[in-house]
Amino acid sequence: MTSSFYIAWHYVIFNRVRSVTLVACITLIAFLPFALQLLLAESQQLLQSRATSTPLLLGARGSALDLVMNSLYFDDEVPERISMLAADEIADTGLGYAIPLYVRFLARNYPIVATSIDYFDFRGLAIADGRMFTLLGESVIGADVAEDYGLAPGDSIVSSPETLFDLAGIYPLKMTITGVLERSHTPDDRAVFVDLKTAWVIEGLGHGHEDLGKTNDSSVILKRTEDKVIANAKLLQYTQITTDNIDSFHFHGDASVYPVTAVLAVPHDAKSATLLRGRYLDNTQYHIVRPTEVIEGLLESIFRIKTVIDSVIAIVGLATVLAIILVFALSVRLRQRELSTIFKLGCSRMTAVKLIAAEIAFIVLASSVISTGLLAIIGANAETLVRMLIFR
Amino acid sequence: MNPGSRVLNIALLLLVSFIAGSAERLTVYTVNYPLAYFAQRIGGEHINVVFPVPAGVDPAFWQPDVRDITAFQQADLVLLNGARYAKWIERASLPRRRLVDTSAAFRDAYINVSETVAHQHGPGGVHSHAGTAFTTWLDFSQAIEQARAIKLALEKMLPQYSDVFTRNFSSLERELGSLDQRIMAIVSQDRDKVFVASHPVYQYLTRRYNINLETVMWEPEVVPDQAQWQSMQQLLRSHKAKWMIWEGEPHDQSVKRLNASGINSLVFDPGANAPEKGDFISLMNRNIMELEKAYRE
Repeated sequence: MTSSFYIAWHYVIFNRVRSVTLVACITLIAFLPFALQLLLAESQQLLQSRATSTPLLLGARGSALDLVMNSLYFDDEVPERISMLAADEIADTGLGYAIPLYVRFLARNYPIVATSIDYFDFRGLAIADGRMFTLLGESVIGADVAEDYGLAPGDSIVSSPETLFDLAGIYPLKMTITGVLERSHTPDDRAVFVDLKTAWVIEGLGHGHEDLGKTNDSSVILKRTEDKVIANAKLLQYTQITTDNIDSFHFHGDASVYPVTAVLAVPHDAKSATLLRGRYLDNTQYHIVRPTEVIEGLLESIFRIKTVIDSVIAIVGLATVLAIILVFALSVRLRQRELSTIFKLGCSRMTAVKLIAAEIAFIVLASSVISTGLLAIIGANAETLVRMLIFR
Repeated sequence: MNPGSRVLNIALLLLVSFIAGSAERLTVYTVNYPLAYFAQRIGGEHINVVFPVPAGVDPAFWQPDVRDITAFQQADLVLLNGARYAKWIERASLPRRRLVDTSAAFRDAYINVSETVAHQHGPGGVHSHAGTAFTTWLDFSQAIEQARAIKLALEKMLPQYSDVFTRNFSSLERELGSLDQRIMAIVSQDRDKVFVASHPVYQYLTRRYNINLETVMWEPEVVPDQAQWQSMQQLLRSHKAKWMIWEGEPHDQSVKRLNASGINSLVFDPGANAPEKGDFISLMNRNIMELEKAYRE
């Protein structure tokens, strides 16, 4: 038997190209369904764990999936904005409390999640280093953001303009990092958290600038009346909020109608949740969704696609197996002279079968080893891959 | 049981009851003294009221540092005055879930002020009173509503003490109601009496009690300059006031010069910060007695 393996090994090595092709085919057919299964299981776990820990989400009428993906996984598809009044309305019902979310801007390609500090209690997020943000212009970053850019409390992070040519719109705001969150293995690890008011400053609803009443530069004054001073576009707005200029920051208009992308509603109990959902059934402006239902719908779609992919893989697999059988059948025909030499040397027909079986064993073994290795890599990086493929 | 183990048992019992008691005590932070007083009166021993603004500082213009804001963030309940009181709140991150806007019930009754002159007094820094008038509690009917909001918030957090809170609130409501009735009665003696106030903090007082009052921008501890005297004279031509209401003890020179012009002085301390002597009710009683002087004339 050892001699059969010896000869088979040398045959496999001698016919490298054919062997590698066969190994690649078998590896792919064995690896693909298992890898797909691994990734789907991971995405299911990630999506569901986040969704089940979020009771209700209120947003503008429209795509429930966009609302959930943006609010829970900080996806960059921004749902239509609603006003802060929506959060106040939920709080006023007395059926639970509301955590507003404004997930629209980016800083170094990470989402800026503007919210109230209640969010951290709700998600059970703790500060690993530094402290919680306390003032306008301060931020707390997730563990991955800190790790990827080597950021620590005391450093700064700058918000990104939404478009390159948005000269009259959103100015980048340099935000001081006051803390780094403990790793939670959730999308919170990959976010930059700020107070809602900081996001509104980024948006331009609030700003800080030199006191117009005291300025010596008359070129920035457009019009001056007894009780009003109007500045022109030359007036320099602060792009960083510091202890020296924070008092100059102010908001225009009624803050209760400032925008948010969603409101996370946390009802007191199941009955309150039902009542709360009932209140928004016929609302034409908002809809309230249970993230678990939305995610279950998404997963159903994914699994339907997976069933199709499984069928395709099964057909391709069958075709590959048939092709491999054909390859071996043809190779036996091509090796007629070689086999007749073996028979002339006094070997039995069984020895020839053993030789071919040993060759197949080598190829299948190599494929198994490579598939297992690849699956181990996929398994170890499933979370990262799912985040890359599904969330961002 | 020997005396030693009895003492030990009693000590353990006290320790356990102390721990149990302190575990249930809510930490309530407030932005001004009236709210701290109302909360303490209603919550009694079941809450720990913290009013962190140092003495002598106007809480409306106080600038807390990071440590102060962190303490507010960790409180079980944060009582806000509403009416855009305490400007620092607009720039700080506070837990929405634990915030109680005590004047939300009468939000529609806020008074807008257009005065825009920036000025400085005390350690609070330069500030202006433009925007919304915020000394809401000087209308005692509004003060009752603010106290009621505190009671409701406490009941929600500690429903087991609801009876205590209701009892304590009723007692406070009676006292505030009595202050309200006293001022009503005093003012009704002479509806034509006119006043000048040193600072724009009496908007709700004048509206509720129908007091005819005009405001200048004087500081009690600072002697007015010539321009301020001139504008006062100009004001007095159309507004024949015989009394000036000060928010704090005025400077002797100011009082003398006003007296020379036939204007008397009285102090009506809004009580935004804790008084040196007594409490909110005794301070308001003193204020009412001062006001009474003008009507006894």
